[in-house]
Amino acid sequence: MSVISKKWISYLFILPSLVIFAVFLIWPGIYTVYLSFLDWNLISPTKRFVGLQNYLSLFQDPTLYKILMNTFVYIVILLVINCFMPYLLAFVLEFVIVRGKKLYKKILFLPSIISLVVGSMLYVWILNPVSGPIAIIFKKIGIDLPTWSSTSGLVLVVLSLITSWKVFGYNFIVLLAGVSNIPSGVIEAAKLDNIPLHRIFFQIVLPMSSATGIYVLIMTIVQGLQYIFTPINVVTQGGPNYASSNMIYHAYQQAFVLYKTGQSAALSTLTLLLFTILLFLEFRFVERKVYYAGK
Amino acid sequence: MPENKMEWRRIIWHLVLIVFVLVALFPIVFAVSNSFKGLSESYNSILQLIPAHPTIENYKTIFTSLPLYQIIINTFTVATVVTLFKLVTSYLAAYAFSFSHFFGDKLLYFLFIATIFVPFTVTMIPNYLIISRIGLLNNIYGVILPQLCDATGIFLLTQTMRTIPKSLIEVSRLDGVKTVGILRDIVFPLTRPAVISIGIMFFINSWNEYVWPTLILKDRANFTLPLILQMFISSEGGTNFPIAMAISMVTMFIPLVLYLFFQKYILNTFSQSGIK
Amino acid sequence: MIRRLKRLGVSFVLLIGILVVLLSGCTSGNQSGSGETHKTVIEYWHVNAQTQGGQAVDELVKDFNAKSKDVKVVAKYNPDMYKGLMQNLQAEKAAGKSPALVQVGWAYLDYFSNNFSYLDPNDAIAKFDPKNKSFLKENFLPNVLHLAQNKKGQVGIPYSLSSPVLYLNKDLLKKAGLNENGPSSWQEVRQFADTIKKKTGNYGLYVQEPADTWAQQALMLSNGAQIITKKGKAVFASKEGIEAYQLYQDMVVKDKSALHLPWDQGVDAFVKGKVGMLYTTIAQMSNVKAGAQFKVSTIPSPPFEGKEAKVPAGGSFLAITAQSEDQQKAAWEFEKYLYSRQSMAKWTEATGYVPPRKDVAQAKDGLKDYIAENPMLKAALDQMDKAVPWTSFPGNSGLQAEQIMIDSRDKILGGSGSVSKTLKDAQQQINQLEK
Repeated sequence: MSVISKKWISYLFILPSLVIFAVFLIWPGIYTVYLSFLDWNLISPTKRFVGLQNYLSLFQDPTLYKILMNTFVYIVILLVINCFMPYLLAFVLEFVIVRGKKLYKKILFLPSIISLVVGSMLYVWILNPVSGPIAIIFKKIGIDLPTWSSTSGLVLVVLSLITSWKVFGYNFIVLLAGVSNIPSGVIEAAKLDNIPLHRIFFQIVLPMSSATGIYVLIMTIVQGLQYIFTPINVVTQGGPNYASSNMIYHAYQQAFVLYKTGQSAALSTLTLLLFTILLFLEFRFVERKVYYAGK
Repeated sequence: MPENKMEWRRIIWHLVLIVFVLVALFPIVFAVSNSFKGLSESYNSILQLIPAHPTIENYKTIFTSLPLYQIIINTFTVATVVTLFKLVTSYLAAYAFSFSHFFGDKLLYFLFIATIFVPFTVTMIPNYLIISRIGLLNNIYGVILPQLCDATGIFLLTQTMRTIPKSLIEVSRLDGVKTVGILRDIVFPLTRPAVISIGIMFFINSWNEYVWPTLILKDRANFTLPLILQMFISSEGGTNFPIAMAISMVTMFIPLVLYLFFQKYILNTFSQSGIK
Repeated sequence: MIRRLKRLGVSFVLLIGILVVLLSGCTSGNQSGSGETHKTVIEYWHVNAQTQGGQAVDELVKDFNAKSKDVKVVAKYNPDMYKGLMQNLQAEKAAGKSPALVQVGWAYLDYFSNNFSYLDPNDAIAKFDPKNKSFLKENFLPNVLHLAQNKKGQVGIPYSLSSPVLYLNKDLLKKAGLNENGPSSWQEVRQFADTIKKKTGNYGLYVQEPADTWAQQALMLSNGAQIITKKGKAVFASKEGIEAYQLYQDMVVKDKSALHLPWDQGVDAFVKGKVGMLYTTIAQMSNVKAGAQFKVSTIPSPPFEGKEAKVPAGGSFLAITAQSEDQQKAAWEFEKYLYSRQSMAKWTEATGYVPPRKDVAQAKDGLKDYIAENPMLKAALDQMDKAVPWTSFPGNSGLQAEQIMIDSRDKILGGSGSVSKTLKDAQQQINQLEK
């Protein structure tokens, strides 16, 4: 039951966060929805009300579908590299390898403290398909690297890799913490029963560390898409022909490169809507089934 | 399972992990190496990781041509203030959400967590207008102000606090301990590891923040470290890569020191009871 | 014990943090206190990164502030080039403020003049400096002045002029058995590139691909195509325009002799000796010179066979955006200083841009010695009579029109769809944008 002695103390504790959220997140959010019904270029004194026009032209633009698709592909790639792989490696490190755990943790966490602007710039140089170190090494064994930054599809993979360089380590540590909270007796017993490792992973580890897993999953989707903004901005500016743009970057480009504030706001509102559905699904179906250690 | 097979499996997994380690480390090594090369050398001896003619010229250039000490202090100020405020506001809110029921608690919690899902493009334009209207444009406090609380922090801390057995707290309540006392003597010691690891996460994220400060800060004397990198990347005149690398090293330096100094602690807190 | 140490460590970090905050609070307090109140303080907004003229801006401002009795200039660097500056200017206007002098990229001429209030430099001179009435006429070529004009008159004064030239890796040309003086037409460029690819295994050509289509427009113009009519109607999908792009696409897609990469990666590849020819701005000169370990030279932008070369002027102009009279006066005083021969020379040396002022290149206190030492600049100076305005699409949708041009460039170089269809679609789209 309620542990705080007086109700007003609870409100008092929540107040600082509430005020800041209201002023810098909720009100701006509402304002952006409002802007999505206007034709405005960010500075002109006249804002023209255009009703649903911005949404109509948004849906008529084939670019939108391309970007939705890219956004989806980014999510899938990020989930594989930043959620599934660290999960698997955390499991392997905890229950298969065991030795060297500390050293691996130390090193793999390292990139996550480095600025993504720095990381993006480094990778542009390292992965230069003609004159970067990797290209030169490959050239020596007779392989030409594809010009990834101007090849649709491939560019999504490489930008995801750059983002993963930063995100991987943090997710890995968090997942390792989740996995190591599973009583080792359970795993040992399963091993003695000769249950194959992949079944241990899917049938014991995943469910028993699901609280951490869900957290990393959600964060990978939500933050990953925002993190990827930086490599897009540094490396391709959304090109070639929107092949590397996602919903976040496109909204930024519409607002701050083309000054189509209304279009941008409409796209942001759409993004918000999609994220809200995601959030709803999470709360509705996942949160209840999660296994909380210690509960 | 036969021991032999197990051993082989271990070796293969070690190899996989070593590939990951190389991918993680290579860019950092590459950055260090190039920050000590001249422009011509960095262009022409790419595969040579140890510079043939090491030079500290790049570091000299950035320290003489920029108010770098001021910029480091700015970055430190932003990161510290943001971290402290985020910790305090998140902690208080998480405490309320974890240990009491009040009108609208579920809805408010949902609303707070929902803000994690708000992409920054949604708030960028209106927040810019707010900051400029209250005259905090080109001021590091303009960067700080909208970031004084954090939904992720509330979420993580609430998750942590919910693992504290309620009975523990109910007992002290029956003994007549006040809210402040419970917070200080029971909840805080139990959540300290989580607080510290989350705090370090806040600090590093804020230290590396890029998009929002570019909108707010205009004057070099008010810049934070990630912004000055942009000053040496010019598509028009070509990027001076070694100088950019020297700046990258300066930008990395403090998070790196923090990490090396506290690494055991950071990693332990995450492993022991960080996030549930 | 360990526990206590940890706790000590944490409090130590917190303490340092708090100290730093307090300290910085103090220092910033001091700064605002010690301003020189009797001088008019104006803001000059520029986009020059530290490696691209930023250092020179600092030095010029410092020198000016030391000399001027009543004006103090504060230079503000805007990240992300002209686009970034425009964004900041938008925001400043939304907040009801404006700097005194701004550096505007050519592509933003129309957008800038439609959306911001500025002072025509002719008016500024008439008002604050009537003795120097013919300052503009005396010192600038008419075709150069024309670059910064719109229908209503002079928006600003050209400040940096960039011009596309063809850089040659002479060693690679020699290795491929080609004339080291380079090709004389775009058709020959194609042959050269193909030969380089076949003989040396390296790429033959890279044409810059930033977030604009400046270089691609130069290609079309040099085949006699027109980008827009005087009335602002897009007409680039003409026979000549398509022909020019076709040659470019063939090199990238069919011959695979030309590279298709973002700008910095393409230039990097050239400097590292992996590409035979580089078509980019003269502003890259010092970067190329510093990095290249091969014989490198420049030649003027080539025409198509039987046509005349034309080069759109890149770079920027300076415009007065100050609102109050004393700010405007101060802005003009500073602007005049920036356009002096010595300042111009210094600016050119730091940036590699072509000076917009007539007399700077030959003057002894100008660039005479510098050009002797840097013959690569000559290719750009020699083609100044071929400079034409960079197409600034009219109306509020101008920026969107440029974006459509960028998109179609990427479509064409990506090899999807025919050149003529892509260009015709783009042209139609641009003409349908609301003006």
